[in-house]
Amino acid sequence: MSGQIVVRGLRKEFPKVLAVAGVDLDVAAGEVFGLLGPNGAGKTTTLEMIEGLTVPDAGEIGICGLNWRQHAPEIRARIGVQLQATSLYNKITPREALDLFGSYYPKRRSTEGLLELVQLKDKADAYHVTLSGGQAQRLALALALVNDPEVVFLDEPTAGLDPQGRRSLWEVVGAMKTEGRTTMLTTHYMDEAEALCDRLAILDHGKILRSGTPAELIASLGIPSVVELTFDGAAPDPSAFAARLGSPVEARGDVWEIPTPDPKTLLPRVFTTIESESLEYNQVHVRRATLEDVFLHLTGRSLRE
Amino acid sequence: MDHSSLPSPFRLLWQQFRIEWRLYARDRGAMFWTFLFPLLMLFGFGVIFRSGGPPALTLVRVAPARETERDRAFLKALEESRLKITTLPAPQAEERWSKGGTMAQLESVGNGYRLRLNSYLLVQGQVAAQAASQAFLVAQARLNGSPEPDRIPLVIESPGHAHSANYAAFLVPGLIGLNLLTMGLFSVGMVTVAYREKGKFRRLAVTPLPKWVFLLGQILQRVTVVVVQTVLLLLAARLGFHIVNQGSNLLLAGLIVLGTATFLAMGFALSSLASTIETYGPISNLVFFPMMLLSGVYFGLDSAPRWMQNAVFLLPLSPYLRVLRAVFNDGATLAGHGAGLAVIGAWAILSFALAVKRFRWV
Repeated sequence: MSGQIVVRGLRKEFPKVLAVAGVDLDVAAGEVFGLLGPNGAGKTTTLEMIEGLTVPDAGEIGICGLNWRQHAPEIRARIGVQLQATSLYNKITPREALDLFGSYYPKRRSTEGLLELVQLKDKADAYHVTLSGGQAQRLALALALVNDPEVVFLDEPTAGLDPQGRRSLWEVVGAMKTEGRTTMLTTHYMDEAEALCDRLAILDHGKILRSGTPAELIASLGIPSVVELTFDGAAPDPSAFAARLGSPVEARGDVWEIPTPDPKTLLPRVFTTIESESLEYNQVHVRRATLEDVFLHLTGRSLRE
Repeated sequence: MDHSSLPSPFRLLWQQFRIEWRLYARDRGAMFWTFLFPLLMLFGFGVIFRSGGPPALTLVRVAPARETERDRAFLKALEESRLKITTLPAPQAEERWSKGGTMAQLESVGNGYRLRLNSYLLVQGQVAAQAASQAFLVAQARLNGSPEPDRIPLVIESPGHAHSANYAAFLVPGLIGLNLLTMGLFSVGMVTVAYREKGKFRRLAVTPLPKWVFLLGQILQRVTVVVVQTVLLLLAARLGFHIVNQGSNLLLAGLIVLGTATFLAMGFALSSLASTIETYGPISNLVFFPMMLLSGVYFGLDSAPRWMQNAVFLLPLSPYLRVLRAVFNDGATLAGHGAGLAVIGAWAILSFALAVKRFRWV
C-alpha cells in the first residue's frame, strides 16, 4: 500500500438507501483529491467512513498505512477534518478554540500562525456566534490544521460562501498543497474541483463513474468544445433544427448546446442552418467543455440539479 | 514526529473542566437561572410568607346588630382559645371577605351562628373552625351552668418540632431539589441533545480526545455548579432567615450526592429519546412541569387526592424532597424513608441503564 489513502470495496447501506455501493480510491502523498458529485451522491458518507466517523458495512480503509480497527487514536492524531457543519460552543473565541483543539494532539501548530493563515487575526477574540459564514468556515479549516496533519479531509469547504469567501478559502487549500499535505475534499462545484484538485472521482448513486485528472476527464468526453446559442427567454424546441444540422442539440433553459469535436467546421453549418430556418436568436458562443459537461454526459443530469 | 505520545487524559480532563466552566460563566442566562433565580425565589417567597413562627389562625367575627348575653359568652370563650379574633361591622367584614383576606368568618344567623370558610384557605380555615366550635361548646356550658368541657390544646409545628412551619424553611430543600431537576433536564439533557444535533460530538469524535474525558469533564462541571448553588442557598437561608440544617450535615451531603447522580442520569437518559431540540422540548416539559408543580417544591400536596399523592410519590422528586425535608427541617434520620429511597434508587438505576444503553454521540 503505497498511497496515503487506500480504499477498497467500501459499502454502506442505510435503512432506506444504499449510500455507498463499492468504492475504490487511491490517493498519493501530497495530492489534492476531489470527490465530485451532486447532493446525495454518497460523497459525505464515503468521506465519513474514511474519517472513522461512520463504520462501513464492508471494505478496507488504509490511511498512512494504518487502519481504523487497530490504530484509531494514532490515525486521529495524524489527520485533520473539517466537517460539513462544524459546530462549536457559541461563546468560544477562535483563539480559545484553536488552543483547546490543539491541546488534544501530541503535535500542534501555533495558534498565532493558524490565525494568520486563515486571516482571522482581527477576529481572534470575538465569540464564535459573531463570526460570518466565511469566517466560521475559515476557523473550521484552521481547526482541521491544528495538529499539523499529514492528511486533511474537507467536506464541502466552500458551501454557502460568497465568491470572495470561496477565493480566500481556495488560497488556504493552495497553501496546504505547497506544504505537502495530502488532501481529500468533496464538492459539488465543478469550478472548485478544477481549480483545486490534482485528481477527481465523479460519484453518483454511491458509485465512482470515472476518475482522473480534470484534463483527462474532459478529454475522455471526446468533445472538447460546445457551441451555445442563447435566446431571449426559454429556448425553442431544437428537434427540427438538429435534424437539418445533422448534429445533436440540447435545450437547457435559454440555451441550445451543440457539443462538437470540431467547432471550425460546425460553426459555418450552424449559421447556414440558422439562415434557412430563419431562427431568431440572441448570441452565439463557443466554449471549452467542462467537468459539468462530463457529469452531464455520464449521468444525463446537471450537477446543480 | 512522535504520534504515540498523546496528552495525558487527566491533564485533558482538567482542561475540559476549566473550559466548560469558563464558557458556562459567559452565558448570562445560565448564570441567572442557576444561581440568582433560586435566591430570588427564596427571598421573594420567604419575605411574602414571613411569619416567624406558625401561621396565625384568625377568625373574623361579624359584630351582631344587638349583642346578647350568649354573644358575649361566646366571644369570651373565643378569646380564651388560640384564635386571633377581629370583630368588624358587617359591611367591613363583607369587604374584607370579598378581597380574600379572611380564612374564617363567624356570623349571626337568626337565633344561631354560621361559620363561613374561605375555600382557598381551607386548611387553616378548618383548624380555626374547630377551635371556634370548641369555644362555642364552652360558652354553652357556661350559660347552662353545666360542667365546662375540656378544650383540646392545639399546637402547630413541623413534624420534627425543630422549625415550626416557617415557609422559607420549607422552601430551602424544595429549591435544592428543583435545582437538581433543572440541572439534569436542561444543563445535561438539553445540552446533550443540542451537542449531538449541531454535530459538536462529531467534531470531537475525529480528534484523539477520549470521549469519556469530554463527558466526565462536563459532568464534573455540572456537579460543581450544584455544589455552588446549594452552598449559596444554604448561606442565604442562614443569613436571611436564620434557617440552618437541623439534621446531620453528612446525611444532607449524602442526599445531595444521591440526588445529583439520579437527576444527572435522568438527563442523559432523556437525551437519548430525542434527536433534535424541537422534540426534546416537549419531552423535557412533560417531565419537568408535573414534577416541579406536584412534587412539593413550593407547597405540600397533603390536601390533594390520595391517588395523586401516591402517583406523585413514584416520581423521583417527591420522595426525594420528603427525605430531604425530614433531614434538613426536622433533623430526622433516614429511618422510615426506605420506600422513598427505594423509589429514588430505582429511578437512578433505570436512568443510568437507559443512558448507558442508548447514549449516542451522533
